[in-house]
Amino acid sequence: MRTNSIAPGAAYLIAQDNADARLTEKYGADRKFEKDKLGEPVIWAKNPDDMKLLAKSFKIDPSFLIDFLSDITAYDNVDLEDGDKRFVLVYQLYSTTRHVRIRIKCLLGEHEQAVTLSDEWAGANWLEREVFDMYGITFRDHPNLRRIMMDERFSGHPLRKEFPMKQREPFSDNIRFHLGANPLEVDAHITEVGPGTPLTTKLGQDLYKPQGSK
Amino acid sequence: MSNKDGSSFFYPTLLSEAAKWAQKNSLWPMPFGTSCCGIEMMSTISSTYDLSRFGAEVVRFSPRQADMLIVAGTITTKMAPVLRTIYDQMLEPKWVIAMGACSSSGGIFDTYSVLQGIDEIMPVDVYVPGCPPIPEGLIHAIIHLQKKIENGMDRKPAERPTFDDAQNAMSYRKGVGYDLKANFVITPDHVKEAKAKQELK
Amino acid sequence: MSVKIQDPHQLNDFYNPNVLINLGPAHPAMHGTLRVMCRVNGETIEDAACEIGYLHRGIEKLGEDKTYHQWMVYTDRLNYCSALNNNIAYAMAVENLMSISPTERCQWIRVICMELSRIIDHLVCVAANALDIGAMTVFFLLIHWREQAYTMIESMCGMRLTTTYARIGGMSYDLPDNFAARLTKFCEEFPKTIDEVEGLLNSNRIWIDRTKDVGVISKADALSYSITGVIARASGVDHDLRRDRPYYMYPDLDFDVVVGSNGDVMDRYLIRMEEMRQSVRLLKQCNSRITKGPLWVDDKRVLIPDKQDVYTKMEVLIHHFKIFMDGIQVPKGETFTCVEGPNGELGFYIVSRGGPKAWRMRVKSPSFMNYQAFEHSIKGGKIPDAVAHLGSVNIIAGELDR
Repeated sequence: MRTNSIAPGAAYLIAQDNADARLTEKYGADRKFEKDKLGEPVIWAKNPDDMKLLAKSFKIDPSFLIDFLSDITAYDNVDLEDGDKRFVLVYQLYSTTRHVRIRIKCLLGEHEQAVTLSDEWAGANWLEREVFDMYGITFRDHPNLRRIMMDERFSGHPLRKEFPMKQREPFSDNIRFHLGANPLEVDAHITEVGPGTPLTTKLGQDLYKPQGSK
Repeated sequence: MSNKDGSSFFYPTLLSEAAKWAQKNSLWPMPFGTSCCGIEMMSTISSTYDLSRFGAEVVRFSPRQADMLIVAGTITTKMAPVLRTIYDQMLEPKWVIAMGACSSSGGIFDTYSVLQGIDEIMPVDVYVPGCPPIPEGLIHAIIHLQKKIENGMDRKPAERPTFDDAQNAMSYRKGVGYDLKANFVITPDHVKEAKAKQELK
Repeated sequence: MSVKIQDPHQLNDFYNPNVLINLGPAHPAMHGTLRVMCRVNGETIEDAACEIGYLHRGIEKLGEDKTYHQWMVYTDRLNYCSALNNNIAYAMAVENLMSISPTERCQWIRVICMELSRIIDHLVCVAANALDIGAMTVFFLLIHWREQAYTMIESMCGMRLTTTYARIGGMSYDLPDNFAARLTKFCEEFPKTIDEVEGLLNSNRIWIDRTKDVGVISKADALSYSITGVIARASGVDHDLRRDRPYYMYPDLDFDVVVGSNGDVMDRYLIRMEEMRQSVRLLKQCNSRITKGPLWVDDKRVLIPDKQDVYTKMEVLIHHFKIFMDGIQVPKGETFTCVEGPNGELGFYIVSRGGPKAWRMRVKSPSFMNYQAFEHSIKGGKIPDAVAHLGSVNIIAGELDR
């Protein structure tokens, strides 16, 4: 009697069961392990550094070979039902070779800092920016932690439970031009040096006083 | 003066009538499609519901060359200044069609980032209901606009909201005057109260 | 060498070859509200940064305020080019939370809807891409078939674009009587247009020059940026959830997964055309194998009663009232249900604390991940290449910003 959308007898279920067994035996010693409604494993990390350690070790573990980051998200645990801290950060991981999914969760306090995953997976960059924008969770060592969905002048973190739905803020102009992490400083790479290019003319040399050596 | 078959090739009329006739039959749209209504606008412009039958063939994506702005889709507070800039860059005479529920009134999105209708920042001539309106609906709106142009050439210049008006028009501004009854707002204090009440029972 | 300049206006100096330009956020209607800020040297893009959020509507916050049925409406507005797919994926997620499996007929209908929405999404993508590159005929040819599909979808549920067709536990209406005949006709005539378009474009000198080796994303990059869907398969990542983590009837159906090797715009275009053919193949199989039977699952928690009974019987009226006014009672738990949408892996992560409203409704959208790699892959290319590349990535702003 089917109780969900999974096709019966699908090949990946065996690999997923093996993965669940391996998770409990190798990593579940002092970490909480549970299964969600669809039978996918959820492992609770002890702290943000532990989360990153788990993700990295899943990458090399032969029964998972996790190589794909599906999602980084968070939810507000303000009623403290999942633990005693305010936020829960969630990683969804997947393996394109073994076809297994693993979810890592971690409790975070209101002013606690998480660790970025963008040095392992480049796709984590914008996902963490969105978590910061919506919840206010900061990530240590993130290259570009700015708001992504809301205007950078917006105040408040919308997906927190105490943020009212209809609290709008008007903006009078479009956001400033920027080329990366810091909108106020622009890195100008002047690639060509030769006759007629800025650095060889007197005017060019006055305008762009180069710092440091060539 | 007449042709051999009796039809004539000049018609005495007022200059304003001639101008109205020319303007209404050659409305060049500037499509400002943001979301789902943009796809229906794309369908309207394509071959099945050909919009060029009504003179709106030249779909220019430059506001300086267009005289009708079709705002199709949800406008967020981040996008609003961009829309206003495009509107300001258009030359007179210009008309605005608010296509769809989101641009007429915010639609199904009454949230922290959506402008509740573009008439908070610019005067609108025709509102098209629908989510999204089917292409026939948009064509109906353009025909209605053509009638409006024909009837109302002595319309007063639009009272454009000033910047302060637009700022004040946006209701539920942060911290000002709105009774926030959203019953799912939960703060840690609410949680403590609820737990205390439960223990009392 | 690198120079730090405090005032960006200095860069707009006459002697400086570097110009700061903005692509967007008011694009031609096809691509939506994207902004790419570039520093160009002549026409070569040396540095680029993407800005999104111009269509952020707070759909996830609304998920915490609306009941599960009410939120179905917002799922259409995510990937609005393939609304049926989003409806079904969300219904699948809630049904997984409630441990419900839809009936066989319902599953067949859902597979038909998902494949039909895959066809129409690929049609829009290829048409818009071709229009940007200059092939306007292709746009009109393909949009005609999108209109034909719209007519079929309208006969199913009454609406062309934002369908809200799926319900939790079943579908809102059963297929109309002549649907099988219409679908057969569609499946016979549509591939001829795909052949026609491929004849126009595949060996076209201009098309090859504009799309070959343009916007290349390597396999390592694709995995690192978590790209899914057509772009990942074009780069060589063999990832298709219909085959790897199958749901509904997919293991019983024959279809091929198309994987490319180059990772450029040409590969993505070819994969989309071939995927449309595979979808037609799937539709033919579903059309011949669809079973007659009940559409709704026999579960009192979700079964929406027949309207005739609602109008005549008291208990049924109250039951209907409870389902829609109070909302269906979903037990505590969470799920992350993913489907292979036309754009890639579309996932709904729903956390429920019991009750009629979700505690957290997270949409994992494929366009969000696909667009991250964009700013890195256009560096070094020219602006027209960036435009061709953007068209092939199929970014739907509704999904990107939610």
